[in-house]
Amino acid sequence: MVHQSTDERPVCLNALVNLTDRTVEYFETPPELIRKFLGGRGLNMYYLYKYLKPGCDPLSPDNVLIIGNGLLTGMLVPNSGRHNVTCISPESGIIGDANIGGFFGPEMRFAGIDRLIILGRAASPVYLYLEDGRVEIRDAAPYWGLTCSETYVRFKRDLGSDVESEFIGPAGENMVRFACTRYGLKNSAGRCGTGAVWGSKNLKAVVARGNSGLPVADPEGMLAKYTELRDYLKKSKVTEVLGRVGTPLLYDVSNYLGAIRTHNSQQTVFFNTLNAEEVHKYVDKMLSCFGCVVHCRHRNRLGGEGPEYSTMGLVGANIGVVDTYQMIELNNLVNDLGLDVSSTGSYLAWAVELFEKGYIDAKTAGCELRFGDYPLMRQLINDIAYRRGLGDVLAEGSHLVDKFGKETADFLIAVKGLPQSDPHDVRYLKSFALGIATASRGADHLRSRPTLEILDLPAEVRQQIFGEPIDPNPTSYNSKGRLVYFHDNIFAANDCLGICRFICHGFNSPRNLDYTHFKDLIRLAYGLEFSEQELEEVGRRVVDLERLINFQEKGISRKDDTLPARYFDEPMPSARAKGSYIDRAGFDKMLDEYYALRGWDSDGMLPEERVAELNSLRGLS
Amino acid sequence: MPKQKQIYARPDLCAGCRTCANACSLVHRGAANPRLGAIRIRQDLVERYEFQEICRHCDDPPCVDACMAGCISKDPKTGLVIQDQSRCAGCWMCLMVCPYGAINRDIVREVAVKCDRCTGRQIPACVEVCPTGALVFDIREDAVVEPFFTEPTVAD
Repeated sequence: MVHQSTDERPVCLNALVNLTDRTVEYFETPPELIRKFLGGRGLNMYYLYKYLKPGCDPLSPDNVLIIGNGLLTGMLVPNSGRHNVTCISPESGIIGDANIGGFFGPEMRFAGIDRLIILGRAASPVYLYLEDGRVEIRDAAPYWGLTCSETYVRFKRDLGSDVESEFIGPAGENMVRFACTRYGLKNSAGRCGTGAVWGSKNLKAVVARGNSGLPVADPEGMLAKYTELRDYLKKSKVTEVLGRVGTPLLYDVSNYLGAIRTHNSQQTVFFNTLNAEEVHKYVDKMLSCFGCVVHCRHRNRLGGEGPEYSTMGLVGANIGVVDTYQMIELNNLVNDLGLDVSSTGSYLAWAVELFEKGYIDAKTAGCELRFGDYPLMRQLINDIAYRRGLGDVLAEGSHLVDKFGKETADFLIAVKGLPQSDPHDVRYLKSFALGIATASRGADHLRSRPTLEILDLPAEVRQQIFGEPIDPNPTSYNSKGRLVYFHDNIFAANDCLGICRFICHGFNSPRNLDYTHFKDLIRLAYGLEFSEQELEEVGRRVVDLERLINFQEKGISRKDDTLPARYFDEPMPSARAKGSYIDRAGFDKMLDEYYALRGWDSDGMLPEERVAELNSLRGLS
Repeated sequence: MPKQKQIYARPDLCAGCRTCANACSLVHRGAANPRLGAIRIRQDLVERYEFQEICRHCDDPPCVDACMAGCISKDPKTGLVIQDQSRCAGCWMCLMVCPYGAINRDIVREVAVKCDRCTGRQIPACVEVCPTGALVFDIREDAVVEPFFTEPTVAD
């Protein structure tokens, strides 16, 4: 027997917090906006566009920091523990948006607040406390200066073991431009330097205690759906392997292909000491985030969590650290300091190459920079977080191109000012290359990562997934625009719902949850009817809005949808991918196809009608 | 011998996702929030443990004695310790005496939340949803019926 809920709450309650005036306003998102943007990343973008002063300095009080839950976050839905942290990125100057798992998002919803929109800057360090639909601004002096793990433990000790917190570490406090927002020991809204924006607002943490339930329209149906989807997902081979060893499995794949970024992408093959089986010797247990059926998060024996594939690649292979133990130590260190591992590893490797090429002199560096020098890298990571010596310089991230010289940008593996997150060298997989070139937040693999074509799927399955024939050859430039377009849309919709990418259709697997599943889950949770087309349209709308914000902030257009010079000019040196590079004409062809599908003009701009449509939505509260 | 529904926990398999508690809350009150479920996952990422706290339906349940509203009782037929939530006064005495920490609080409604082994469901919801097999359901055939106080004793 299932009981119907008597709880009542709005679908989406927002709290507008002004830290300068220490005021909090509450308002509901109207149903027509939920229909257009669902929640999570979509509504975050909407409110960012609404409250943003165009051209603001990302580290000024004018920047808008939004912590927003997905429409299904906290529900009995597989992997529904995610939310997005959104602002203008201090690293790239365009949209900064990062998705984070763990338990904080659901707890925030149970505490009655679905989205925090934070403006201004507090006079002294504060944290926000959320309970029973209220937001309190509290003094954070006792917590300022603590590392991530210390902060996590202290809030549990001071406020009760049942609170959940999201916070920044020393890197965020010191406004390192690639500091991240963190939950627990490892879960991070990692990319785009969201943590620096917290620091600039003197905001150390948000703490929530959730006493209320989220009413569900059809509880019995949702329970049945959950078990059905869990069994469906657990049949997938990818889910099984991810649950056993986590993302490190991808290292072997990239390395075998000869496409692992090492020595700042000057080389593409690295030691097998970082293989999944080696890493797994240091793993105690695999853990889940909220509601997760995959459990891909490692509890490692060195006192932390991780490493993920990105970490292994970027603070392992990319900076030349061969030893498994040392790589995991660096992983734990980066996590504890609150740095984005992808950017950190990319900048460190870049710095070493610049030193080798003479752009950084010995006086600035303070010592000789070498790949594979573990004590030096460890010291540098600490120095970046606490802004000491060369670390203080590197903490400025991609802004250093102005300092070191325009030509140094050619050696930085970044797009639109954001270093590439995936340790995979994309010169071989052309669709992957197009994906990181067009991703709205910079060189990022979580906006598209179109890798389905390499799975050797039958033609009719490809046709069914993408709606038209797809060239299965990963090195051709045909139909790659369609692949990226498809993934961009479904991943955006996925982020709006607050569901993890690992169970989203198209992410490494042709199974997993697609628009039909999303539609069913929304109906069971809220009784709202959506069609598949409507949900895809939400994804398109979010991508378009992100493009519009990027254009408004930095004039992003076709010239910015490009790749690091090395990917065009230098063929890959080793193994099976040897000789691969991105052909400029082929790349232009892919871009044209992608723009045409999006309905953008040949310069990558939104048509005027679309801009007018998005602007008209700003009138809604 | 009566048959008793029993749930066994295997903490080594628990990945800490809290889906069991969320499903419990969903089934018993139609709303999602693991905190409102009768099963609870104790997890500490720094101390590195996770385990399930769930009512054992004790042979000699201290909560029955402690409940001043008299709303918790042990059903002799099923061996289950059942709470009538409509009469719960929210004094939290049952929480205080439970040796397993297996009773939760709903502080909004001020009632204790306690496992009923899902009356009316063949398999309890928490076991049904667990993605890792960390909860095991069994029907115990050997549950001992307590011989005392099952019939009122009348003095001649």
